[in-house]
Amino acid sequence: MIELNNITKVYGSQTVLNIQNLTIKQGESFGLVGNNGAGKTTMFRCILDLVRATSGTVLIRNKNVASDESWKKFTGSFLDEGFLIDFLTPEEYFRFVADVYQLSEGDLNEFYREFEDFFNHEILGKKKLIRNLSSGNRQKIGIAAALMPEPEILVLDEPFNNLDPTTQIRLKNLLKSLQKEKEITILISSHDLNHITEVCNRIVILHEGVIVHDLATNQDTLKILEEYFTVR
Amino acid sequence: MFLRFLNLQVKTTMRSPMWQKNLVLNIIVGFFILISALYLLMLGLFLDQILKELMPQRDPLQLVNGVLIYYFFADLLIRFMMQNLPRLDIESFLHLPIKKKTIIHYMMGRTITDIFNFLPLLIFVPVTFTIVRPHAGNIQALTWIITLILLILANNFLATYIKRLLGAKPSMLGIMGLAFVVLIVLEKTNIISLAVFSEKFFRHVQIHPVWTLAVLCYLFFTYDIHYQFLKKHLFPDEVRKKKTEAFNDRAENRYLRSLGLTGTMLLLEFKLYTRNKRTKTILYMAPFFILYGLMIYNSPGSPNQTGMLMFVGVFMTGGMMLNYANYAFGYESCYFDALLTKNIDFSLYIRVKFYISVLIATVFYILTIPYLFYGFRILLINTAMYFYNIGFLSYMLLYFATYNKKRIDMNRGGMFNYQGIGSMNWLALLPAFLLPFLIFILFNKAGNPDLGILFTALLGIAGLVFMKSILKRITQNFHRRKYIMASGFRERG
Repeated sequence: MIELNNITKVYGSQTVLNIQNLTIKQGESFGLVGNNGAGKTTMFRCILDLVRATSGTVLIRNKNVASDESWKKFTGSFLDEGFLIDFLTPEEYFRFVADVYQLSEGDLNEFYREFEDFFNHEILGKKKLIRNLSSGNRQKIGIAAALMPEPEILVLDEPFNNLDPTTQIRLKNLLKSLQKEKEITILISSHDLNHITEVCNRIVILHEGVIVHDLATNQDTLKILEEYFTVR
Repeated sequence: MFLRFLNLQVKTTMRSPMWQKNLVLNIIVGFFILISALYLLMLGLFLDQILKELMPQRDPLQLVNGVLIYYFFADLLIRFMMQNLPRLDIESFLHLPIKKKTIIHYMMGRTITDIFNFLPLLIFVPVTFTIVRPHAGNIQALTWIITLILLILANNFLATYIKRLLGAKPSMLGIMGLAFVVLIVLEKTNIISLAVFSEKFFRHVQIHPVWTLAVLCYLFFTYDIHYQFLKKHLFPDEVRKKKTEAFNDRAENRYLRSLGLTGTMLLLEFKLYTRNKRTKTILYMAPFFILYGLMIYNSPGSPNQTGMLMFVGVFMTGGMMLNYANYAFGYESCYFDALLTKNIDFSLYIRVKFYISVLIATVFYILTIPYLFYGFRILLINTAMYFYNIGFLSYMLLYFATYNKKRIDMNRGGMFNYQGIGSMNWLALLPAFLLPFLIFILFNKAGNPDLGILFTALLGIAGLVFMKSILKRITQNFHRRKYIMASGFRERG
């Protein structure tokens, strides 16, 4: 589904990303871990064509993301607050996304129903602009907006940040059920080793832009990860 | 302690990204400030002669004293609009063992060095020597200038106090401006005459220095209310009044959205403009563009010079459009990534921006139609320039906008907010204002300036005819530049 071929990103004299070959199959839940500066966000940005890779190509369904924009139709993503339009109310923002993806009023209502628990009455009907909401709520809006068009690929960068404990668990369960029921390809990065081992069936450790481990998740994965990061 | 604060302040300014990255810009701004200062100095030095020429019957000292009260009122207005509150990040100091008193006195003392406290002196000090001293003697001149200095400082504290209390709301400015205009009208129609009161007051100040002491007390009063306010509100979120924004769904939403994706994008741009401080401030500047014509058409200079008239036409109908189109992408810098990753048709996106540019120019053109009063030729020129704006300039500006790469924080308004302006933005001003003038010069040399007007208009009409292919080229450039824009926009500060 997603292929990275010889992707490098160089800033000046520093190579922040160097991935020779990475293939993510449809339906996989792919977890990316690494310390700060490892290149996780850069890799996601390359996949989403937000950054021009110094070399190499990213293919989604065999089409180069830089030259063919059709991947945007079935890909939902949320990396950081730059994905939110802060001077809109949440309702206006969701409506904007719905319009862009040509979702009907019925689809939008269905979306509100599905995410009612996730929003926990803190987001809708408050008549507040997104920029005046707390960071946790902004995070929720971003994640929900990524899921609204019922994408086949979901890319989230450190989604568990800033979320309160209840929402973290809700998000975990949501991601797990999405993968099981709808076979969505999920790509997430996280600093929380617990969450990521629970949600992802494949975990890749990135260090200074290079893949150092590529693991299929099992009961020992959490221990392996903790060991790895204790030494580093 | 004061010195330590000062040291920090110097570092803050020298290390601010604006200072470091925009040295050229700062030199240009500094140059303009220097020129303005020179003008003021000239005014101060020659005021006595100017007054003698204009009103030889009246005593110049009387005139000056009468105007002073209006001067200070206008000064308050200008300070409210343009004087910046000192950007001391008090959050970093509140938890340290520094007395609150010290912090507050520093914050207030900082305002004294503001340039607005020195510019008036450029006029008043020369006037002291050229008008006051000859008419009233040394001691009276001294008390006069001292009183003025005290009043300048009092205005300083008062203006910053009001700004802290009410926030720099553009609507406040409107109200104050209106009050000022009303006072002037009342003065001119002799209903209330503050000028008489003002003249009496300053005359008494010269004769009885005890009034200077009264002004000193007034100064202490303004300092004190400001001080008390800060003492009560020395919390980072209360030092400046922040508006809480509440919004309701409106019916216009539905109409615009029924126009499909075009409508959705138009609606987004409308909200972008009206809900962000930076663009709201620009909107409030709209009257200046339209009224510029009054200044030029009325001036005794050379109002019939076609070249100048062409410039005025471009400026009035296209000035606001320039503000929009030249930063079209920069304004959306905070959510540029969102636009790039959602399923947005970029040729539609850019076409919508073109439509909005045309809409803005059209609105301003309609508002300048009344200038027909000054003659049919003026309307003709303005119409030609309008076509130039929508059919040529708009494309140039949007093209240059694809070279935006500085993030623009939409919530920092204020008059001289130069954040996000890059060298390309200055370059864009050339086809905007210089080109029509150049065309005029060419055709003038060839002997037929009116043909120049026609040519400019034809440029615009040609542009409209080839809209599709021109917009395609701009979209292509956008795609080429989007990575650089995206990474530039992500860089904060």
